[in-house]
Amino acid sequence: MPAITLRGVAKSYGGGDYAVKNLDLTVPDGAFMCLLGPSGCGKTTTLRMIAGLEQPTAGTIAVGDRVLDSVEGGLYVPPEKRGMGLVFQNYALWPHLSIRENVEFGLRMRKVPAAERRSRAEAALRMVHVDAAMDRYPSQLSGGQQQRVALARMLAVNPSVLLLDEPLSNLDARLRLEMRAELKRIHEESGATIVFVTHDQLEALTMATDIAVMNDGELQQLAAPMDMYARPANRFVAEFVGSPPMAIIDVGPSPTGLAASLLRFTEARSTRVPPAAVGIRPEALRLGAPPASAWHEEALVEAVLPAGSSWTVRLRVLDTEMYALSYTPVQAVPGDVLTCWTEEMHLFDADGVRIPAEDSSADSSEDRVEAGA
Amino acid sequence: MAVLTKTEPPPAPPRRRRLVYRLRVLRHDPTAALGLILVILLAYLVVAPLVAVISDAFRLQYGDDVHAGQRAGEWTGYYLWRVFRSQISGLLFWEPLLNTLVVAVGTTLFALILGGGMAWLVTRTNVPGRKWLAGALVVPYMLPSWTFSLAWLSLFKNERAGGQVGFLQAQGVHTPDWLAYGALPIIVTLGLHYYPFVLLLVGNALRRIDVQLEDSARVLGAPRRVVIRRIVVPLMLPALSSAVLLVIGRVLGTFGTPYVLGLPADYRVLSTGLFQSIRDRSTGVASVIATVIVVIGVLIVFTDMRLMKEHRRFVTVGGKGAMDRLSDLRGRRWLAFALGLLVFTVSVLVPVLTLLLSTVTRTPLDLSTFTLDYWFAERLPGAVGFPHGVLRGSELWEAAWNSLRVVGLASLVCAVAGLLIGYVVVRGTAPRIAGFLRQVSFLPYLVPGIAFAAASLSLFAVARGPVPALYGTTFLLILVMAVTHLPYSSRSGIAAMTQLGREPEEAAQIAGASWWQRMRRIIFPIQKGALVTGIVLPFISGLKELSIVIMLTTTGTQLLTTLSIGLVDYGYTQLANAVVLMIALVSFTMTYLTQRLTNSSLASGLGG
Ligand SMILES: Nc1ncnc2c1ncn2[C@@H]1O[C@H](COP(=O)(O)OP(=O)(O)OP(=O)(O)O)[C@@H](O)[C@H]1O
Ligand SMILES: [Mg+2]
Repeated sequence: MPAITLRGVAKSYGGGDYAVKNLDLTVPDGAFMCLLGPSGCGKTTTLRMIAGLEQPTAGTIAVGDRVLDSVEGGLYVPPEKRGMGLVFQNYALWPHLSIRENVEFGLRMRKVPAAERRSRAEAALRMVHVDAAMDRYPSQLSGGQQQRVALARMLAVNPSVLLLDEPLSNLDARLRLEMRAELKRIHEESGATIVFVTHDQLEALTMATDIAVMNDGELQQLAAPMDMYARPANRFVAEFVGSPPMAIIDVGPSPTGLAASLLRFTEARSTRVPPAAVGIRPEALRLGAPPASAWHEEALVEAVLPAGSSWTVRLRVLDTEMYALSYTPVQAVPGDVLTCWTEEMHLFDADGVRIPAEDSSADSSEDRVEAGA
Repeated sequence: MAVLTKTEPPPAPPRRRRLVYRLRVLRHDPTAALGLILVILLAYLVVAPLVAVISDAFRLQYGDDVHAGQRAGEWTGYYLWRVFRSQISGLLFWEPLLNTLVVAVGTTLFALILGGGMAWLVTRTNVPGRKWLAGALVVPYMLPSWTFSLAWLSLFKNERAGGQVGFLQAQGVHTPDWLAYGALPIIVTLGLHYYPFVLLLVGNALRRIDVQLEDSARVLGAPRRVVIRRIVVPLMLPALSSAVLLVIGRVLGTFGTPYVLGLPADYRVLSTGLFQSIRDRSTGVASVIATVIVVIGVLIVFTDMRLMKEHRRFVTVGGKGAMDRLSDLRGRRWLAFALGLLVFTVSVLVPVLTLLLSTVTRTPLDLSTFTLDYWFAERLPGAVGFPHGVLRGSELWEAAWNSLRVVGLASLVCAVAGLLIGYVVVRGTAPRIAGFLRQVSFLPYLVPGIAFAAASLSLFAVARGPVPALYGTTFLLILVMAVTHLPYSSRSGIAAMTQLGREPEEAAQIAGASWWQRMRRIIFPIQKGALVTGIVLPFISGLKELSIVIMLTTTGTQLLTTLSIGLVDYGYTQLANAVVLMIALVSFTMTYLTQRLTNSSLASGLGG
């Protein structure tokens, strides 16, 4: 199964604005890559360029050693000859064809004989649990069912590259979980290379083998899910990945309060550059007696918010609001004063770029994790 | 990896490289090529005729060289002089212009009062039978505009023009010329045809006004009269000004009514003047008049768009309560209903019944002379050019077949072109081509049909290069008809394609379908409904079309409309009425059915 490479790909829809700026991205052979980013960051545009529906303004796109787009080299392969599968953000089912005909369409284009077409369409529909509605028309299905038909339509032709644009966004929680597992299974069985667009970071973390975080048309970081979570390459990724989001405390030139306390602690650990900001994930902020090496401060409990398996505690630490996420029951009540502590801090320089820890072995794989320059 | 400092996009590849890439892409996507073909066609069929007619106005025509003292083909101001400053310019231009203005203003006022009043009645009062009235009062717009003028003649015609006299004259009541012909009858009959137009526009606007705006003024103590003057009228201004301008524009290009009711008394308007100049083969003069009509038409539409833009800040988003809060007319409810019924009677029942009765009586409307000869007789004594009932012989059926063929083909061409334009615009691969198509396909909207027909004659009457002379061919008629309806069909095509979006086609593309397969299996099947409406609406209005047809047909090819006008020329009133009744019947039935079947409103097909 092929790898997908994008080299120096840029896309402008006219005017001076770029939807995608200078993108270098390799989707390894057989990877399940999630393109993750806020709305409007260029995910759909990137996917459409890979599919050939949109033409880059500059750069090269290749699958395996087959060049599909090369502005510099004057090469272009039209979408109908790329043999990829694509699920659109808004399904794009054909309203005048029944569900079965929708799914069979791709096979018909590939001149598959009728009997085989039928059985393959039925199998694909069974896989996404809409085989009962086979002879209905798209307008007679719910949004979630339509989305699954769009999936089946793509899967029926067995493409080696699958492109999915937020294919699970309209499903209810249970169905979404089920479809995630199903997609993962399809990926493992077929070995297809998958590019999966989402702005749901949980989805990305649970499904992907690699995550590419984009913002404003730029690649922010390309890493395996847990690496990205543990070592976000910059402030944007740090804030975007993780829920509830990481608290980031700016350390100005003359810090006071919490910022001063954190700065004192990090300077004691003698980082080369003094950080411009310090980030602490809520689940890394603990309550109770601190170990000797940890940073700690007194915290006033303002609210305790239980959520079944976890407890979120709103704290006031040196006049700054912080959240702690605990997976063990929290006994405190509002008004209590506790000690909060952490051993995991993320340091960022003035440009917002991560400052690697010197001694920590955890940060040793830094070079591999960070993408781009 | 910087976030706060932006990476720059890569330098654009060299122009030549980009061009090579772009051409590669275009080779696989026929949209741009299709767009280019449409651009060329539209330039040739829309822009070129207008250029030709304007240049004809300034270029000496063959045969005029002796009078003008210049050689044919040279640039000249001769026709300008002839039309605007010579001794006959009063007859050629100024009088028709004045008459046109009188008719336009009169018709507009008439339509405005009738249409505005009825709009208020059916949208804002509790008049009994509101729903029915709202539907019934639109019927006059579904009939050919000159139906009314034929009915008028059946009632008021005097002995002046020869042939059968009207009902009153036959009863011994002398009808003076001013009642039988000229400004008054033209204004009344056109007004009866165009008031539904005002009713629709104003009615829609009235429906959208938020009643709360009125209520709040009333709460502040403003009396009802003041509320209407200070709140309702200003809010209605956009719709009113639009209605006024559009009616004026229509009247400017209307032909049938002034032809039937004006010419016998030498009452000329610009459109009939243009027609006569063309019949007289004074191409130069005709071109000047056509140019003037084009200019006035363009000015009217631009003024309208300008006003609409300025008024946009007034647009009030309709409150939900607007429909439920109706003025209570109390005791006068039935009076109001009687008024509505009267308008319906005068604008629909009287003309249609007059026409119908006139075709079954020898002396107009005198039932003691009842006869079915005008419909069925094998021989009609005294009628030389048409010696049998309309349903006998082959003339009617041939004309009907021609109408069906010509109008049907024109509508088909028009609808397909509209969809293709929509396709190119929505695909967005060639934004500049799309922009051109959008604007040029709208251009015929600015030009009254009769002037556009004259313009087409300028271009196609003589052989130019490889294109042979097309005057008198049905091919030319089909083309011109299709082009004049293009503004509506391209708009609805763009709307239909925009609503569909690009994704369904792209999904097929991903699935491996070639362009042809996408068109055949995806785009056209999905747009079947839009295509059918796109054919039916121009078809209905084309069936009633007279001005373009009469300008472009020779006696060889008769359509129903020209057949009817030809019978008027002969003085065969009953036969002419019978033919126009059939046109009215067909166009009314089709409009009604289309509205029923597709829920499309007449307002979207206001191209008539
Ligand atoms: N056809 C187009 N013409 C012009 N601009 C476009 C077009 N399509 C997208 N854009 C712009 O390009 C940028 C990236 O859009 P894109 O659709 O790729 O975002 P996205 O990451 O998929 O967002 P979302 O999560 O909302 O789907 C946006 O600023 C958008 O406005
Ligand atoms: Mg998107």
